[in-house]
Amino acid sequence: MTCAEFEILICDYVDGTLGPDARTTVEQHLSGCRNCAELARDGAAAVGFMERAVEVEPPPELMTRLLFHAPWANAKTAATGVRNWFRKVLHPVLQPRFAMGMAMTILSFAMLARFVTPSRQLRAADLAPAQVWASLEDRVYRGWQRTVKFYESLKVVYQIQSKLHDWQQQQEEDSKPAADTEKSGHTPDTHRLPVKGTEPRP
Amino acid sequence: MAAAAVAIVSGAPFRERADSGGQYWIKQSLDLDHSLVERCLSGDEAAWEDLLRTHTRRVYGLCYRFTGKDGEAQDLTQEVFLRVYRTLKSFRAAEGAFTTWLARLTRNLLIDNYRRTRQERLTDSIEEQLPRIEESVSAASRPESMVAGREASEILQAGLQKLSPELREAVILRDLQDMEYREIADILRIPEGTVKSRLNRGRAELARVLRRQKVLV
Repeated sequence: MTCAEFEILICDYVDGTLGPDARTTVEQHLSGCRNCAELARDGAAAVGFMERAVEVEPPPELMTRLLFHAPWANAKTAATGVRNWFRKVLHPVLQPRFAMGMAMTILSFAMLARFVTPSRQLRAADLAPAQVWASLEDRVYRGWQRTVKFYESLKVVYQIQSKLHDWQQQQEEDSKPAADTEKSGHTPDTHRLPVKGTEPRP
Repeated sequence: MAAAAVAIVSGAPFRERADSGGQYWIKQSLDLDHSLVERCLSGDEAAWEDLLRTHTRRVYGLCYRFTGKDGEAQDLTQEVFLRVYRTLKSFRAAEGAFTTWLARLTRNLLIDNYRRTRQERLTDSIEEQLPRIEESVSAASRPESMVAGREASEILQAGLQKLSPELREAVILRDLQDMEYREIADILRIPEGTVKSRLNRGRAELARVLRRQKVLV
C-alpha cells in the first residue's frame, strides 16, 4: 500500500474506527514512515484539542428572533385559516368567565323549567330516533302554527284599531261646523287681554 | 523517530463509537425528525417551534464555527431556517436523514456567504485582526493540558479561521458536529475517501496553527 492509500486509513485510525488487523497494519506503516506518522500525530493532537473546547451555545436572543420574527410565526395564523376563524369567533365564548355565566344561566333555566312544567320521567323509548324526530317535528309545527296565529290576530287587531280611529275622526269632523256657528257672535272671548279702549261699550 | 511518533499516536484520543444503545437513539432521533417534518408540512403550528428548538443549536454551531462571528452566525442561522421554511417540501425522508439535509442546506448557504463576503474580507485590514490573535496567543501561552473549555473554544475558533473553507467544513462537520464520514460525503457531495483526506489535512493544518500559538506541544 502507498502513503496515499494509508492516508485514508490514518483518518480512521485517529478516529478509532479501524478493526484490530487494520490497526496493526497502520501502526506498522507509521513506524516506518515519518510523514504519515507526523500526519497521524497532528490529527490526533487536533482532535484532542477540539474535544476540550466547549460546545457553542446559541444566544437566547437568537431563539426569540427565530420564534417570533419569522414567517412561521405568521404562518401560525395564516396556515390554518378556517380553524383560526372559528377560534377567533369562539375565543370570547370560551373564556372561563363567560363559560361560567353561560353554565349558570342554563342551570337556572333548567331548574325553572323543572318547577314550571309537569314532571315526567324520561324513558328509553323517548330516545328512539323516530320518537325524537316526531317530537321535534311536532314542536316545530306547533311553533309555526302559533306564529301564524299570532300574526293573523295582530292583523285583525290592527284593522279594528284603524277602523275605530277613522270613525272617531269622522265624528269629530262632523261635529266641528255646528260648534263654529254656535260660537260666531255672542260668546265673549275669555282668552283676550283686557286692552283699554277696545272694550265694547255698554 | 518513527517509533517515537507511533508512541505519541498510540496515545491518541480515539473517538467513541456508537454502540447498539447509540444506534437506538440515532434511530429514535431520525423518527422524531421525520414526524416533525410531516407535522410542519401539514401546517402544525407547534411543530415549527419544536423543529427550531431541536436544530438551532446544531445550525448555529456550524455557522459560528465556520464564520467565526456571532452576529453573522445568527443572521445565517435565521437565513437557514427561512430557507428550510420555503423548501421543506423538497425534503424526501427516503433520501436521507433530515439532519443531513439541513447540514447540506446550511453548508451551501455558508459557502454562498463566504463567496459573497470574500471582497469584504480582503479589504478588512489585517491590522484589525492581529491584536485579537496576539491577545489570544498571549492568553494561551501555557501548556496544552491547561487550556480547556471556553478558552480552548476561542483559540480553536481563531485557528479554524486559518483553514481553507474546504478543510474547515470537513473538520467542523466531523470533529465538532460528530457526523459520520458517509453523512459528510453526502453533505459535501464528494467521495468518502476525499472526506478523509480533507480531514487529515485539516486536522494537521489546525495542529500546526495551534502549535504556533503554543497551545499544542
